[in-house]
Amino acid sequence: MLATSPIRRLASAALVALGTLAAPALAFEPEATECIAPANPGGGWDFTCRQVGKTLQDLGLIPGTMQVTNIAGGGGGVAFAEVVNKRGAENGLIVAASTATATRLAQGAYPGNTMDQVRWIGAVGADYGIVAVAKSSEINTLPELMDRIKADPRSISIAGGSAVGGWDHLKVLIAADKAGIEDLRTIKYVAFDGGGEAVTQLLAGSVQAFTGDASEAKGFVDSGDIKVIAVLAPERLEGDFGAFPTAREQGIDAIGANWRGFYAPGGMSDEAHAYWVERVATVYASPEWKAVMAQNGLAPLDLSGDAFRAFVADSIASIAEISREIGLIK
Amino acid sequence: MSDRIFGGVGLLLAAFFIWGATRIELSFISDPVGPRTFPIIIGAILGLASLAVLARPDAEPDWPRLGRVAEIAGAVAVMVAYALLLPELGFVIATAAASAILTWRLGTRPLWAVVSGVLTALGIYTVFHLILGLSLAKGPLGF
Amino acid sequence: MDALASLADGFAVALTWQNLLLALVGCFLGTVMGALPGLGPSNGVAILIPLAFTLGLGPTEAMILLTSVYYGAMYGGRISSILLNIPGDEPALMTTLDGYPMAQQGRAGEALALSGVASFVGAFLATWGLVFLAPQLVKVALLFGPAEYFALFVLAFATLGGIASRNQAKAAFAAALGLGIAMVGVDGQTGVPRFAFGEVHLYDGIDFLVAIVGLFALSEVFIFLEHRGEDTVEGHASKVGIGRVIPSGRLLARCTPTMLRTSLIGFVAGVLPGAGASLGSFLAYSMEKKLVDREGTFGKGDPRGVAAPEAGNNAAAGGALVPMLALGVPGSGTTAVLLAMLLALNITPGPLLFTQNPDVVWGLIAALFIGNLMLLAMNIPMVGMFVRVLLVPPRILMPIVAMVSFVGIYGISGSTFDLLVMVVFGVLGWVLRKLDVPLVPVILGVLLGNLMEANLRRAMTISDGEWSALVASPLAIGLWTVSIVGFVLPILFGRVLRARMGRRKDEEGAVSD
Repeated sequence: MLATSPIRRLASAALVALGTLAAPALAFEPEATECIAPANPGGGWDFTCRQVGKTLQDLGLIPGTMQVTNIAGGGGGVAFAEVVNKRGAENGLIVAASTATATRLAQGAYPGNTMDQVRWIGAVGADYGIVAVAKSSEINTLPELMDRIKADPRSISIAGGSAVGGWDHLKVLIAADKAGIEDLRTIKYVAFDGGGEAVTQLLAGSVQAFTGDASEAKGFVDSGDIKVIAVLAPERLEGDFGAFPTAREQGIDAIGANWRGFYAPGGMSDEAHAYWVERVATVYASPEWKAVMAQNGLAPLDLSGDAFRAFVADSIASIAEISREIGLIK
Repeated sequence: MSDRIFGGVGLLLAAFFIWGATRIELSFISDPVGPRTFPIIIGAILGLASLAVLARPDAEPDWPRLGRVAEIAGAVAVMVAYALLLPELGFVIATAAASAILTWRLGTRPLWAVVSGVLTALGIYTVFHLILGLSLAKGPLGF
Repeated sequence: MDALASLADGFAVALTWQNLLLALVGCFLGTVMGALPGLGPSNGVAILIPLAFTLGLGPTEAMILLTSVYYGAMYGGRISSILLNIPGDEPALMTTLDGYPMAQQGRAGEALALSGVASFVGAFLATWGLVFLAPQLVKVALLFGPAEYFALFVLAFATLGGIASRNQAKAAFAAALGLGIAMVGVDGQTGVPRFAFGEVHLYDGIDFLVAIVGLFALSEVFIFLEHRGEDTVEGHASKVGIGRVIPSGRLLARCTPTMLRTSLIGFVAGVLPGAGASLGSFLAYSMEKKLVDREGTFGKGDPRGVAAPEAGNNAAAGGALVPMLALGVPGSGTTAVLLAMLLALNITPGPLLFTQNPDVVWGLIAALFIGNLMLLAMNIPMVGMFVRVLLVPPRILMPIVAMVSFVGIYGISGSTFDLLVMVVFGVLGWVLRKLDVPLVPVILGVLLGNLMEANLRRAMTISDGEWSALVASPLAIGLWTVSIVGFVLPILFGRVLRARMGRRKDEEGAVSD
């Protein structure tokens, strides 16, 4: 305890500098902490839990170590239901979430559950979407791709790593919508098991375009095998991807951020909620986490507490709207 | 006779499967094949295979006596109870109990069955939780 | 000989005391986890990720630890397949077919030792393949589009008729049942739930490990319960002897061509992302049976039937590292976990990995060679120890097997529902066994069903519903031809012939029984 306190003081100093929550938050101290990864070990949610847990621990922000529990099933729905129904009042518990969580909530894929049943903590970064073609492709810009789809939707198959209606698909639809394509349903989307397989099929020539996250495509972008024609971020990304134009620059105002963050049980006390919001924000602001983000190709997304809640609500609303438009939900 | 019943049940299953496949909700966006076609093909193969079994049954298998069937049903009940009670009782207690009962029913004397059950539970707890770090169910006593 | 120079550098990286220790620990833990039903290579690797995190290992060290676990688990899976007729993990499924009969004939030690050698040969050749052929093999992976994958899966099911029991209809039934079970859950293409009955637990589908453990391990418990105290059980238990623990030179010589051929098949299957080790061992077994099983001894304890799947699945494990390292595409569940770990360690797999991080790649490959030798050195002497498992009376052993199965499943998914599904599979497995329905096709269906359907539908989406797209490339035509000419036609037209031969064989079988 003694050893950790100077670090904790530093941490709270950093918080004051950030202008986030102040003193009362520190009144709460959990006995034990747990992070639920709503999938099997080894996936994105599992890593979110483990990496944030490790950073929290390394910075001395939590007592002891954070236990990571895997509750797989229903694309995160089993864990969501478990937190809502059985563990609604726990103060030491947070759950990893991402855009996939918001997508499923928006499409009603967690039957009977809504985002208001849990408390939202904060984001720890985002992975922006990209649209890419093979290096030998004649297509060079996003508007060119969209024009081809407009002219003959059957001529372009787009591969992505999620199911139809999943996030990789929605990103293309958002872009196509903004590009003025009327019937979004005519767009040919081919679902693969993960971004890597989808890129491979782009290289193999089975499909004409690829939609995915920046981090998934990095290896192929570096090697020059694929050509990124648009990044779905508000501004150009830092690092290697800075060379590629955003969709917005090309006159198509589409943004697709795969964010990573946490929610907590709905019955969590205000003090505990404030504690977690502050702790996660501290992790986000730390140089250690900046290094993790750089490693994982995560771009900044600085949202916590109420601002994060509003952001999730917004993204659910917009996903619900586009899903309704294409008839995925009624 | 068993194979004829088996074939019949298989046919029913195939029919149920195909019926279920036709009731799969179609989303507005669909690929040319759609989510129903493949299950219907599988259902058809299931049905054909069942018909073939029905038409040319094998020799009668050696079914156990009723007492032994009850024994197996008992083991199933223990396993179901184990699954349901695991989160309530915690890993060590539930496992020791279930393992002891199974060991006893497989023909070990009760006292030794209990010893074996407790040792099994503790051994698995050591390997899986303490060494490999898997999170096993925590009961009211914390293990 | 650039590759050899790089490999030498790799050995310089890998041959530190710390790395050797990590490899040793990884090989041992991997073997144990592979042998435990319910824990396979992918879970085994995933379980040890936190350990790699806690120890603060660098990329090379972490990958050495985790790939040792991976290779170790591929070795370990065979142990329970041979001794208990329960596949320790899915690639070891085929090893039950001849491994368990060998154990029943009192040749458990021989089967274990032979399969250890076969594992070594498969993994060893595959690692050389990785050294020299990785860049070229990537091009092979690019030949496979959705239509070609679909043809490959059709081939896998076409060969089923050959390996199944006497009754082809029951094998077809089992395969269809497995495929049907695979359909449960949210459709990967359109996102609609199928056969889930509104149950959110079923949305992710049924995990094949739950199915394997239920069908094989729990049904085994029921079988023992059924025969408790009867003479057959006692006789059975005493008959399962240890036998010799070193395979004879003659046996090894007899199995060598098998091991070489199946290593090649397994390696190629492993290189294809979306095929993987299970398909590798399956094709290795059924092709080998087709090729050399003239006396119909496969499935009755033929040593070649043990060597084939083990060389095949270990070669596939090495092959699966090719697309993972060279493309960043996981070809199996295990490589998906390894890939996630690499990304977390700031290594971006992809076409440039070999030039950007040569120390990681070549250190890893060197570690594979070292791990492989360690596994062989560890496994052959340990055969004597493993077979002692059989000296534990079934009334003690079976509950332990059941409990380990439950824990393996629960520890990974944390789901009570999965445990209940597993019990249902246990009962199903028992009934199917009584009715002489083979279980292997069921698992094959569960494993491959979704991939098979997904690739069919991808191909159809790309071609706008033009079915001729399935046979549009020479490769696809080739695969279809092998399925039809090699496997389907013989079943349809060979019935008369086989019936005659089968009658003769049954007589022989009756004598030898």
